[in-house]
Amino acid sequence: MKQSWRLGAIGLVFAGLFGVLLLQLWRVQVTEAANYEAQAAQNQVRLVRTPAPRGDIVDVKGRLLAGTRPALAAVVDLGLVPEAAIPDLAQKLSAFLGLPASEIQQQLTEAGSADQIVLREDLDERQALFLVEHREDFPGVAVIPQPVRSYPEGDLAAQVLGYIGRPNKEDLERPDVKGTDFVGKAGVEDFYDEQLRGTEGLIKYQVDARRDVLASLGEIDPQPGSNVRLTIDADVQRQLQDSLDRGLRFARKLEMEERAKALADRPAAQRLAEAAAELAAEAEAAVATASADEDASDPQPPHELDPGTVLGPVWDRLPIDSEGVCVPVERHTVDIGETVVLSGRNPRTFRLLAVDGEGARRRATVEVAGEVIEVGDRDSFATNLRVVDLAPERIIVTATDKWCPVRTVGVVEDPRDGSIIAMGSQPTFDPSAFVDGLTSEEWEKLSSVAAFTNFAIQGQYAPASTFKAVSYMLAIEEGIYPLDRPIDDRTLGSGTEGDSVAAGDEEELKPLTSDLDKYNCTGSFRFRFNDGSSQVFRDWKRSGHGPLDLHEALEASCDLYFWEIALRIWNERDAEGGIGNENLFQEWARRFGFDQPTGIDLPFEAKGLIPDREWFRQEQAKGSGRVRADGTWVGGDLMNAVVGQGDVLVTPLQLANAYSAMVNGGTLWRPRVVEELYDQDGNVVDERPRQVLGTIDLEPASVESFRRDLGLVTNGPIGTARGAFADFGPNVEKVGGKTGTGEVIKAPRAEHEFQVDNAWFVGVAPIDDPRYVVVVVVERGGSGGKVAAPIAKQLLQFLMNGPDSITPLAPGEDAD
Amino acid sequence: MAMRTDEPARITLLQRERPLRPDLFLVIPYMMLSGLGLLMVYTASAPRLEALGIPPDRDLKRQAVFVVIGFIVFGVVSMIDMRTIRGWVPAIYGSSLVLLVLVLSPLGEKVKGAQRWIDIGPFQFQPAELAKLAVVLGLASLLASAGSGPLRWDHVARAIVLVAIPAGLIFLQPDLGTMLVFGFMAIVMLFTSGATWRQLAFLSVSGVIGAVGLFQVGAIKEYQITRLTAFLDPAADLQGARYNQYQSEIAIGSGGFTGKGLFNGSQTNLRFVPEQSADFIFTAVGEQLGFIGSALVLALFGIIVWRILVAAVNAKDRFGRLVAVGVASLIAFHVFVNIGMTVRLMPVTGLPLPFMSAGGTVFIAMSAALGLAHSVWLRRSPVPGERAIE
Repeated sequence: MKQSWRLGAIGLVFAGLFGVLLLQLWRVQVTEAANYEAQAAQNQVRLVRTPAPRGDIVDVKGRLLAGTRPALAAVVDLGLVPEAAIPDLAQKLSAFLGLPASEIQQQLTEAGSADQIVLREDLDERQALFLVEHREDFPGVAVIPQPVRSYPEGDLAAQVLGYIGRPNKEDLERPDVKGTDFVGKAGVEDFYDEQLRGTEGLIKYQVDARRDVLASLGEIDPQPGSNVRLTIDADVQRQLQDSLDRGLRFARKLEMEERAKALADRPAAQRLAEAAAELAAEAEAAVATASADEDASDPQPPHELDPGTVLGPVWDRLPIDSEGVCVPVERHTVDIGETVVLSGRNPRTFRLLAVDGEGARRRATVEVAGEVIEVGDRDSFATNLRVVDLAPERIIVTATDKWCPVRTVGVVEDPRDGSIIAMGSQPTFDPSAFVDGLTSEEWEKLSSVAAFTNFAIQGQYAPASTFKAVSYMLAIEEGIYPLDRPIDDRTLGSGTEGDSVAAGDEEELKPLTSDLDKYNCTGSFRFRFNDGSSQVFRDWKRSGHGPLDLHEALEASCDLYFWEIALRIWNERDAEGGIGNENLFQEWARRFGFDQPTGIDLPFEAKGLIPDREWFRQEQAKGSGRVRADGTWVGGDLMNAVVGQGDVLVTPLQLANAYSAMVNGGTLWRPRVVEELYDQDGNVVDERPRQVLGTIDLEPASVESFRRDLGLVTNGPIGTARGAFADFGPNVEKVGGKTGTGEVIKAPRAEHEFQVDNAWFVGVAPIDDPRYVVVVVVERGGSGGKVAAPIAKQLLQFLMNGPDSITPLAPGEDAD
Repeated sequence: MAMRTDEPARITLLQRERPLRPDLFLVIPYMMLSGLGLLMVYTASAPRLEALGIPPDRDLKRQAVFVVIGFIVFGVVSMIDMRTIRGWVPAIYGSSLVLLVLVLSPLGEKVKGAQRWIDIGPFQFQPAELAKLAVVLGLASLLASAGSGPLRWDHVARAIVLVAIPAGLIFLQPDLGTMLVFGFMAIVMLFTSGATWRQLAFLSVSGVIGAVGLFQVGAIKEYQITRLTAFLDPAADLQGARYNQYQSEIAIGSGGFTGKGLFNGSQTNLRFVPEQSADFIFTAVGEQLGFIGSALVLALFGIIVWRILVAAVNAKDRFGRLVAVGVASLIAFHVFVNIGMTVRLMPVTGLPLPFMSAGGTVFIAMSAALGLAHSVWLRRSPVPGERAIE
């Protein structure tokens, strides 16, 4: 037995192995037993979530705008699908869903194994029945109730309602949001998402390892979300959208008439010569296949502002619709071999011959009107055509028309408490489309015209002459009026110092002291700068308005009168005992809520801009390109600002809210679109309180005179909206307003023809006790009096005289 | 020793009266484990069978038949003298090789990617279990002839060849667990028969090189490695690669100290542990009988292994001792790897728990192995008194 130590060693090793087992068993069964017990308990319980119905959204009178209807959805619970079965399941689902199997497989593989994936929402009865009957063929697939959002009124108030969709990464960070939920993405659906969503219910099941349900262990019912009552009145909203829609077409027709007139006005020989030059330039552009680094979001015809650009042929090729009316963006997706006809007065054919190359370096060979050219991604070619995307087999091209009225925006506010009665912009969309699923084609088409954006709160525009109301209030409250007439050839320093009125003139001038004193509007005046250069400031009415007081200046929208107020402030900015406040105007503007969001209960509100010296300096330091690189804030900048031009930006809502404060006696309300939240039994759970943002100390007399003067704009002998309101019908004396024409493209090169203006109208009714403030903007529409005022007129007719009183849209006077 | 020579006559008399008295320390734990195994097989299989609409005691009855056969085999093998058995070794070794070839032929049945079974009527036969016995006997016979003193290299080489042939055939099934059993038994038996440290080191190194080589030429697939190493990775997919082990760990852990009681285990009743009555039978013990039950099972195995090693120490000849050591290592390794895998000490390799896991071949083969060890004990040397006669 001399080897017996070896057997002893083996015995020890075995004892050691058994000892390790015993220790591990002790750890698992005694030390950490509680942990495993919990896991065992959890193993047997399966929680099934029952979605809470989303709260309804109704208008101020309780009419349903967004509701839910019961529906069934097909979901797959990946915890129930063995990995090996996924390809087979994907294959079977492919036939059922009509999607490529590879796509489904990818989706199933990518999701975490415990995830529930929604395969298809809103199954029809046949589909649901098929799935239930063929359960064995679709392991892990279940049919569950999932209410579907519905918008019974289609696109009515769509931009206020917003839409819902699957949560993005950011949404998923909220504690109660899961991937299978729907969350608000815009509008009230977004802003009140938490209240609308409610709390989902749970059903607890005991299950075995195969997840077969053995028993139900209890149920928590879902808590439906709160319902939302808007301040929106569906009738007014419908009228607003109808008028904005008609108004947009109306503005486009007017634009086409203007183009025709401009063409006809020019001598034939000149047009021929220009056409030849244009064709030559176009051929050159085709060879060069213009720059690739232009900003894609704002496609521009390549030659638009080049000297020598000829309007005729370009206009001939700008996109038009079937009725011969301009369209801002014409978009085509063209497959290889496909031919599309590009619209325009001279239609051209476009054929995609080939796409080749890789990634960013793709090139396409296309044939336009018989000429074969090569273009790259994002190229502009052939006047206004542009490539926006090159995919392996297709090309997306747009034809843009920068002169074509692109959109109409409107707001109706109750100045008594800031409630928004109607709001929106045209073109708009139907939120149901998001529930049913948009094709990428539809999505691109709608997003290329920004249909999902509520321009009433997100659009920022120069308010133009509508802003004269601020200067009006300032003048009458502060007692700052112009001198009695303009001084020509004044010296105005380009720097900060030395700007002054020429001494020789001063004795002959009398500063006005009252709103009734007359100022002699001569139509223009000239500045001579210290460096010898000069600039002429011209009123929109070249011939001038003649003598007018403050009231008539507002009525006729005299630029000179308000410029003179700016000059008074500028020249006396350092004066002892005088004005002594360079920012007086900006302060007044900010008091009315400009330069800051109004705080309306909607997401994505823009804040606008009131420029001043400080802002100017900051922009210059940033090098943003928004301001001159040299020099400082000068009097000319202030002159621009008082007439709502230059760098002033406002949202249509800000303007409506400011006018509301002006006509209600000085109370600046926080605008709101939601009246109250109420539960399923109709009990109000959140009475959205009316909030005052600020009170502006206005003399009752000022308010009264302002209202009266607004009335003169529509009714007075020199009112800029007189023409537009001529066919208003009864109660015309009770409506007032203010026009505005905002230059979009500054410093037009050619007289008149290149001018692209935003048209504004702010309406107030009834002027003796205002209940409605209406703002209408026509983007690139032309003059406020001609285009915007008629649209606002229809709304005011509806509000004052009822739906039967509305007269057709007809162009008003071409007045600022 | 001194005492024995002092009183030879009395002891000789006693021994001769009942020369084949069974080792109750071996037999009773063996029967207790078998009985407990039957109970556990029933608790683990009844809910499954019931759910399928099959009489819940079907698997119990089937296993009971194997247990009875196993007991008989144990008794019969115990009676056979080791010298007789040694004469059968070439036949046993040869026929097990034939069966290992047959299982790879179309006669063998493929289940879950592995070809391990041969159908015999209603039963399935696993040649690998027989091969374990054949390897023990073959190695014992070979090494017994080596004589005492340090092992010669040519014996080591022949031992490698003897193990490599069945191991190669099993590799083709594939059955990694059984290959590991071969390796473990070979090392233990070589060590017992006096292998030098250099020889043992050489075997270990060549084993590692062989495994790496097989992996390099692609004979061992990536997924097999993954399965072997998944238990080390706490982040491994609990629904996939580690599902079995995860669920069995929960079952055992949730049993706690005293267990949930028979038929009260949720993991067992709700079928969370796959293959529970076969490879994962220990989870039924852990969940229902708790740490107390687990420790009892471990203790019974410990006693059996201890008794076999005692038999080895007292074996009459080198062959008997090596057989006993081989059987001890076979059982100990199965127990360690099987229970170890249920509590995440070892990877999942598919080695059953001796005497408890459901399965005919394994129960009968293990009973036969235990019978061999028992036979060694019954004819031990010195059988008290025998030396006196010599």
